[in-house]
Amino acid sequence: MVNAPTIEKPATAEELARTLREASNSRLAVIPVGGGRASEMGDPPDRSDVELRTSRLDRVLEHSQGDMVVSVEAGITIESLQSELHKKGQFLPLDPFNSPGHTVGGLLATGWTGPLRQRFGSPRDFLIGIRVALPDGRLASAGGRVVKNVSGYDMMKLHLGAMGSLGVIVAASFKVFPDALHDVTVELACKSFEEAWVASETAQALPLPPAALELLSSGRLIARFLGSKDAVERMVAELGWGKADPSVWVEHSRRGPSTWARIAVPRHRLHATLQSLPAGAEWWASPGVGIVHWSIAGGADAVRDARADAEAAAGSLVIMAGPDDLRREVGAWGRPPPTLDLMKRLKHAFDPARTLNPGRFVV
Amino acid sequence: MPLEAPVLAQLRRIVGRDHVIDSAHDLRIFERDASIEGATPDAVVLPATNDEVAAVIKLAAQHRIPVVPRGAGTGLSGGAVTIRGGIALQMTRMRHILEIDPIGQTALVEPGVVNQELSLAAAAHGLFYAPDPSSQKACTIGGNAAENSGGPHCLYYGVTTNHVLGMEVVLADGSVHWVSGDAPDRVGLDLCGVLVGSEGTLCAITKIKVRLLRVPPTFATLLAAFPTIEAASHAVSAIIAHGIVPAALEMMDQVTVGAVEAHYHAGYPTDAGAVLLVEVDGIAESTHELMAAIRNQLTANNGYALREAKNSVERDLLWAGRKGAIGALGRIKPNYYLHDGVVPRSKLPQIMSAVGEIGEHYKLPVANMFHAGDGNLHPNILFDMRDSAVLHQVESAGEEMLRAVIEFGGALSGEHGIGLEKSAFMPWVFSPDDLRAMQQVKDAFDQDGIMNPGKIFPDPGRKQARLPGRTGLASEAKWW
Repeated sequence: MVNAPTIEKPATAEELARTLREASNSRLAVIPVGGGRASEMGDPPDRSDVELRTSRLDRVLEHSQGDMVVSVEAGITIESLQSELHKKGQFLPLDPFNSPGHTVGGLLATGWTGPLRQRFGSPRDFLIGIRVALPDGRLASAGGRVVKNVSGYDMMKLHLGAMGSLGVIVAASFKVFPDALHDVTVELACKSFEEAWVASETAQALPLPPAALELLSSGRLIARFLGSKDAVERMVAELGWGKADPSVWVEHSRRGPSTWARIAVPRHRLHATLQSLPAGAEWWASPGVGIVHWSIAGGADAVRDARADAEAAAGSLVIMAGPDDLRREVGAWGRPPPTLDLMKRLKHAFDPARTLNPGRFVV
Repeated sequence: MPLEAPVLAQLRRIVGRDHVIDSAHDLRIFERDASIEGATPDAVVLPATNDEVAAVIKLAAQHRIPVVPRGAGTGLSGGAVTIRGGIALQMTRMRHILEIDPIGQTALVEPGVVNQELSLAAAAHGLFYAPDPSSQKACTIGGNAAENSGGPHCLYYGVTTNHVLGMEVVLADGSVHWVSGDAPDRVGLDLCGVLVGSEGTLCAITKIKVRLLRVPPTFATLLAAFPTIEAASHAVSAIIAHGIVPAALEMMDQVTVGAVEAHYHAGYPTDAGAVLLVEVDGIAESTHELMAAIRNQLTANNGYALREAKNSVERDLLWAGRKGAIGALGRIKPNYYLHDGVVPRSKLPQIMSAVGEIGEHYKLPVANMFHAGDGNLHPNILFDMRDSAVLHQVESAGEEMLRAVIEFGGALSGEHGIGLEKSAFMPWVFSPDDLRAMQQVKDAFDQDGIMNPGKIFPDPGRKQARLPGRTGLASEAKWW
């Protein structure tokens, strides 16, 4: 009989750090929770005594429009942040799947991204400052509020995608972007995968490539062009796809099947990866990035096959959500990275008592 | 302290007898980078392969000898200076472009490859390597990765870390590892992201996989004159505040323009208080629209004599002036000293006034040439090193300028690194807890501290910041 975890909702970063330290001192396992949209990512934790929720840390700390920089607490949802930025004609190019309800901290910890990554990269490219609560109760900041900064180690990278295994992100600063002068979405329905793939390559070869380009297993393609009016209109005319309502992106971002995986490969290997997925598989891909999200059908064996292909292509297959049994059977992460020992050294340095997410991540 | 004879003999066995330098006379060449302070290495070792690098570091680890990786020595923060002696690991024999993949748009290079050589080689495929430090004719990709270097075009394209896909590194125990690679979202911690910009304190870099970008179809490059540096700063803030992100947005003041014009005859207006060099790229429709919007902001903020390059020859000349500016300053004084602090971009007018006042207070000539669009300052304090009395004044003025940057909510370094020269200022920005977290990373990679010791972290044994620190601004700022 496992007891349900205690739920803690600290009101400040300091309180959160204190809660974390107390749990660590008592040898309790802490599961940080943002919006809960990625709660099934990773392996099922070995222990789970305290759920540390960031939901009350939901403020915009500072939005400096003239600097194109925003600082927020980690528990703010991405939708709230976007609506604040939108008032000043700016946005953060982070549009994750399984929306709405993601928190900024959760997105940073899990490393989830969306279609706009094609043009803007991932938070790796626009996260400029971070504040983290460490298991010993300290709060450590790095980076800052300027767009270019090499002062000290890049601790932002250390916590991005680290699944909260080294510390709990409590605040973050981002470089933000101006709303595009012109924003047009087009789509194309193709009869076959090959036809759709060729069309996606045509779109990417344009002199102004789409800011987002999604290829669906149904043969549908959706592309979004951002830029000056004349430039965007010329690209749209050259491509010749049909105009689509921009709401397709909201609809697209809601995708989050009950059992799904992210397959990431070098982008020139993606064609082969898509071909190797089981016939009739349901998936959606960002061909310009090298990522496909796959709605898993066929159970553990299908996952093993797809993972073997992805790893043979120097990539990975990570389970984004799914039943505990499946994640236990095949593992959420796949082949451990060759530098696992180094990663374990970092884990041990920051979280020697294995307080944070024990057993959930690779370290 | 000279290395013991058996160690020297072993080093010679590893890299070959011609590739170890230990004569007092020859070592002096490796005392400095492009910053002020120098220190003589005990030996310079020039490896040719990753195995040799690994063997050298393993040997150094056994004997607790410091190892300081070194590229072209163009660094501006003392990162390559062997402040605690030991081995300068000179990487420039490893200078091969191993692969350019036009399909995947990547390149695999050895660390000693010169930045500009990579873009020249990639040009055959219509590709280029985006980070373009002003020293790109000499600086190496390995040094760029170690320092996370920037350059004028990083405003739009991002700095080195945004373009490094993976690296082969040698750690302090001599072990060789690949970190990251071509695929996105790799499983585990982003070690590559932590190692880029670690200034040689965590590893030596032996191979780098970088992203290449398609060369834009058109460029529009424009020069605008301003009555004062403050007016030009207002124009920069206005451009950014209007949501315009050019590919590059560079400022040069009158002192710089005078030196550049005498040297390059690029047609810079020598009567102006400052000039802005603005570039946009992309398809013609984009560049036209962006440039029209930029022209509006420039003229609305007292810009005049706007001149757009008519062809690539004119464009190259304008850029030659900017990138060669630091060399041209030699016409005024033989030495320069600069910090590269960064301010939030709305603070440019105030910080430029403050920089000017500090220069006047110390009666030192200051030449400003910098990445204005990023808020990344480069106030070059000009002096003559042979006048020993002035050096202290120069350093004090530099410290005050950097202190002003921090007071405006800025950062200690945008692209040059902390190295030796700014380590004492780290507590201005970072609290003891912030620094301890960084030290934990250092210790996890290099427990005995043999990799580039004495850099980044404040060193109690060295000169301290003269100005008192409000410690840990990053931690205590209201925005947390």
